[in-house]
Amino acid sequence: MNENKNETRADRARFSPASGLAKALGAFSEAARKYRVEWWILVAGIVVVGLIVFMTIFPGLFTSFNPNDQSAGPQLGAPSFAHLLGTDNLGRDVGARMVYGARTILGVAIAASLLSALIGIPLGLVSGFAGNWLDKVLSLIMDSVYSFPGLILAIAFAAMLGPGVINITLAVSVVYIPTYFRLVRGQTLQIKEELYVEAARAIGARKSVILAKYVFPNVIATVVVVFSLNIADAIMTEAALSYIGLGLPAGIPDWGMDLSMGKKFLPSGVWWMITYPGLMIMFLALGFTMLGEGLSEILNPRLQEY
Amino acid sequence: MKRVLVSLLVIASVLAISSCSGKGSGGTLVYGTTDKVTQMDPASAYDQHTWELFNNIDESLLTYTPGTSEIVPGLAESYTVNDKGDEYTFKLRKGLKFTDGTAFTADTVKWTVDRAAALKGDPSWLVTQFVKEVQVVDPLTVKFVLTGPTAFFPSVIAGNPPYYPLSPSVYPVDKIVSNPSELKGGQLVGLGPYKVTSFKRDEEVVLEANPNYYGAKPKYKKIVIRYFADATTMRLALEKGDIDLVYKSLNPSDIKDLASNPKITTNTLPGPFIRFLCFENSQSVFKNKKLRQAVTALLDRPEINQKVYLGQNAPLYSMVPQGMIYASEDFKTAYGDANVAKAEELLKSAGYSAKKPLDFDLWYTPTHYGDTEVNLAEVMKAEFEKTPLIKVTIKSAEWATYKQQFNHKQMGAYLLGWYPDYVDPDDYTAAFAQTDASAGEGIFFSNKEWDAAFVKEEQSADPKVRAEIFAKIQKDWTDEVPCAPIFQGTLHVLTKTSVTGVKIGAPLIFRYDTLEPAKQ
Amino acid sequence: MRRILRYVAGRLVLTIPMIFVLLSLVFLVLRVMPGDPVSAMLGEHAPAAYLQEKKHALGLDKPIAAQYVDYIGQILRGDLGKSMIFEEPVAQPIFEKLPATLELTLFGLALCLAIGIPLGVRAARHRRTGHDFGIRLYANVVYCIPVFWMGLMLQMVFGVFLGVFPIAGRTGSRIIVSDFDTTGLYVIDTIIHGDIASLGDVLFHLALPAVTLGVTLSGIFVRLTRANMLDVLKSDFVLASRARGVPEGKVVYGHALKNALIPIVTMLGLQFSALLAGAILTETTFSWPGMGRLLLERIYLRDYPVVQGVIIVYALLVTVVSLVVDLLYAVIDPRVKL
Repeated sequence: MNENKNETRADRARFSPASGLAKALGAFSEAARKYRVEWWILVAGIVVVGLIVFMTIFPGLFTSFNPNDQSAGPQLGAPSFAHLLGTDNLGRDVGARMVYGARTILGVAIAASLLSALIGIPLGLVSGFAGNWLDKVLSLIMDSVYSFPGLILAIAFAAMLGPGVINITLAVSVVYIPTYFRLVRGQTLQIKEELYVEAARAIGARKSVILAKYVFPNVIATVVVVFSLNIADAIMTEAALSYIGLGLPAGIPDWGMDLSMGKKFLPSGVWWMITYPGLMIMFLALGFTMLGEGLSEILNPRLQEY
Repeated sequence: MKRVLVSLLVIASVLAISSCSGKGSGGTLVYGTTDKVTQMDPASAYDQHTWELFNNIDESLLTYTPGTSEIVPGLAESYTVNDKGDEYTFKLRKGLKFTDGTAFTADTVKWTVDRAAALKGDPSWLVTQFVKEVQVVDPLTVKFVLTGPTAFFPSVIAGNPPYYPLSPSVYPVDKIVSNPSELKGGQLVGLGPYKVTSFKRDEEVVLEANPNYYGAKPKYKKIVIRYFADATTMRLALEKGDIDLVYKSLNPSDIKDLASNPKITTNTLPGPFIRFLCFENSQSVFKNKKLRQAVTALLDRPEINQKVYLGQNAPLYSMVPQGMIYASEDFKTAYGDANVAKAEELLKSAGYSAKKPLDFDLWYTPTHYGDTEVNLAEVMKAEFEKTPLIKVTIKSAEWATYKQQFNHKQMGAYLLGWYPDYVDPDDYTAAFAQTDASAGEGIFFSNKEWDAAFVKEEQSADPKVRAEIFAKIQKDWTDEVPCAPIFQGTLHVLTKTSVTGVKIGAPLIFRYDTLEPAKQ
Repeated sequence: MRRILRYVAGRLVLTIPMIFVLLSLVFLVLRVMPGDPVSAMLGEHAPAAYLQEKKHALGLDKPIAAQYVDYIGQILRGDLGKSMIFEEPVAQPIFEKLPATLELTLFGLALCLAIGIPLGVRAARHRRTGHDFGIRLYANVVYCIPVFWMGLMLQMVFGVFLGVFPIAGRTGSRIIVSDFDTTGLYVIDTIIHGDIASLGDVLFHLALPAVTLGVTLSGIFVRLTRANMLDVLKSDFVLASRARGVPEGKVVYGHALKNALIPIVTMLGLQFSALLAGAILTETTFSWPGMGRLLLERIYLRDYPVVQGVIIVYALLVTVVSLVVDLLYAVIDPRVKL
């Protein structure tokens, strides 16, 4: 066997699928012990994401206003004690729209990522494992979509399907299917050459069993990382679609739409309508990015002498 | 490294200074707009902005005195009407030539009108509805035989581009033209005060004074129209002095700010531009008149005007706008605003309750009427939901789909707007309630008595008869409510104080040749 | 030479399936869209018979499979078709707007590299110090900033409050574009015509949009450069150079960087896609008359042929760039055998 200097404890523990969890826990405790920077990044990510998820579940703790209430305050009111983040052009409280908007964007992003994963992962597994004409065709399609600017595809789909939560979720998810496909296919190709897989085949284990018991668990760690980073990306794509006007219908608080609405009032000196939605998008995406990055560095540290 | 930075700074400042010197104005006016040109073909374009261009590069047989509704001779120096009122004979001016040198004759007029009718574009009904046949009597005399006596035909021919003569040597007779580059010779030709010298879609259109024009020469020899993607940047450009004039499409907040800017002149025109809520009267839940009345009762026009438009428009209480002859305010007396009590009474009598509310979709189109539209829908939803007996879902579709949907009866309640085709109350009433026209706007209202009344007023030249008919129609409108008026638009033209001469009247025709630099 | 040609030909052959896949995808998507362009075009006053006639003339009444075959055949002949809404060939608006997008994307890319690479090198050189963490933080944060928000913030600060840079369009309102417009790339055009005043104006208009694109996407290059540099700095030849006494600066910026650049070049291809996507949002924010705005407008108008055409052009752009990049890679890295 090759002495791969980048091989980690995690790699060596690949023999048994159940050790997946064990290796992860091991890496975590190692990181925590050494107080590595990556550990702190992970913590930061967990805190931010946790806070925002908490906000989506208990919005009432963060604001007392209804985000659609047009009589909440004056039109275009600057941030004040009554309205910490100000009010928008129809008199709605901006803070409330930030809090409730989190549900919308997070919901769409997570749902879209899940959908992409649910489609991309099985396809990747099958394709990598089968390796014949099916693999070639699927790879061609997925590579084409992957190298193409994702936002443009999302725009085309969103325009076709029209406004609506489900439609936007579908539009966004299309963009990320190739990501999961390629990741999983690559890993599958690697793993299927492993000795233990060959052994399993020799005993006559069915392909589906091999996929489920040996391939899938080893792929999962990377998938989780990619999932987190993917959510960050999906958040940005959803915000972009709403900003262009292809997002959700009016009546659902949405950060992207608030941004594009607020931009009209900027020359009048109204800065709060665009500053806060942008900050929120950034923080949410950053949270998931740090979560993903932190996880990635800990589970698969690149360089040992680091 | 430092040297590199310093030299970069030097280059940057040199470029900055040199770009500041810019080009002087010297008889050039820069006009900013967020509208778009559709097709440069009067037989097919049916939008305000493209029509505005045609109003300046061409003219009709009759025209309006700028800034008024007074009809005066245009390319025709006079006309006569027969006794019945269904034949108009025009005597054309002598010796007029298109910008490419082609002579303007009665044949040109017939060719143009026949072409407009044949190509069946959007505005072709303005020809086919009224004109049966065009006859060439002699090279300078042309006779319009109408489908029926039409007292207001002069206002139909005066402001509608399908009637503006085109040169047969340039325009193809069987195709609609989008860009000037498709024409023979690659240039638009016309008979108006200006000609188009450069056309770059969505970027700029350059107009220069037409030396062949029969009338007075414009003071601004060159007009550059700059196309902006959004109103906010256009407002900033005006403030900075990059552009000289802005017409329409500024956001209400920008209009408000600029009104107090000493370097900007704000011209306010009470435009006969109306916005209203349409119902689908034949199949949707709104075929029940009571529900139409209930929803109308809940409208709070002053609130809409304040919240969405910062008070810049005017609440409208009849489909016929204020300033038009025979206009009334019947909706004010019949419903008032935010009449929750009346609405609930009507809803309850129709069988609705808080447990079983009237649940409907309110449709709007996001950019066709400006991007304040979503706010209009949101405010209206809040107004309708003041009573627990109603539940509204806001839906939107962009214009292409919107039009298709209302033609296919797919929207029960939707917002629409209307610029006049000709200045007459008929264009604000029959257009929505006469059986065929109503179907064309997706309203599908039909009432035989009303249809008969419309025919009567269209064919009568007696103001007393017409006043009586319109009074009754407007009153009956509050009962049947095929559509409900919301507000009447105020149009704003904002210019630098150095620009004067903005003259736009009820027909909403904007002629650039009245503009002139202010006298110091 | 012949090997290079064969390589190019081979790569081109591979790009055809990709364009085919994308085209088919978009064709299907567009045909299923609600809202038919013929009614939108002719309006509600046109009689039903005429609508049918027009639909037939445009081939919209054939079954989808037949329309698809027709379309593919048309593309293979190099004909992008005619716009359904305006009577103009599809190629016309696309090639009118393409230079605008190219100019923006190229300047954005230049800024991206100009910011990303030096920062990445610095971070690698001073790894695990404050510099390194600060730069990595910058890279992560900047990637999460929505491009359009960055654009709006820049507009707000530099355009509105400070009034230093223009916030929309490619040229000032008083500059008449037709005076110098030749290729559509205004920077080049103004230089060709010697119109320095307009050149200054054009560059000033490019400033904020290019910075928006460049900064937001620089994060990726920072990380890439850093990772590659770290790898290279550990290699034997660097150790050897240092041992020989070569000054550290030369080691890092000379030998190491050249080697680290190779993988960056390969990433350029993929990053170009990200830049094109970011350019659409930048174009919307800055009223930049490019292909991104054209795409959005024509989707709105349901102008199928133009939308398809735009997507084909985007696909072509991406493949051409990755082809060029692959060639560059083969040229730079002597280890690669064509």
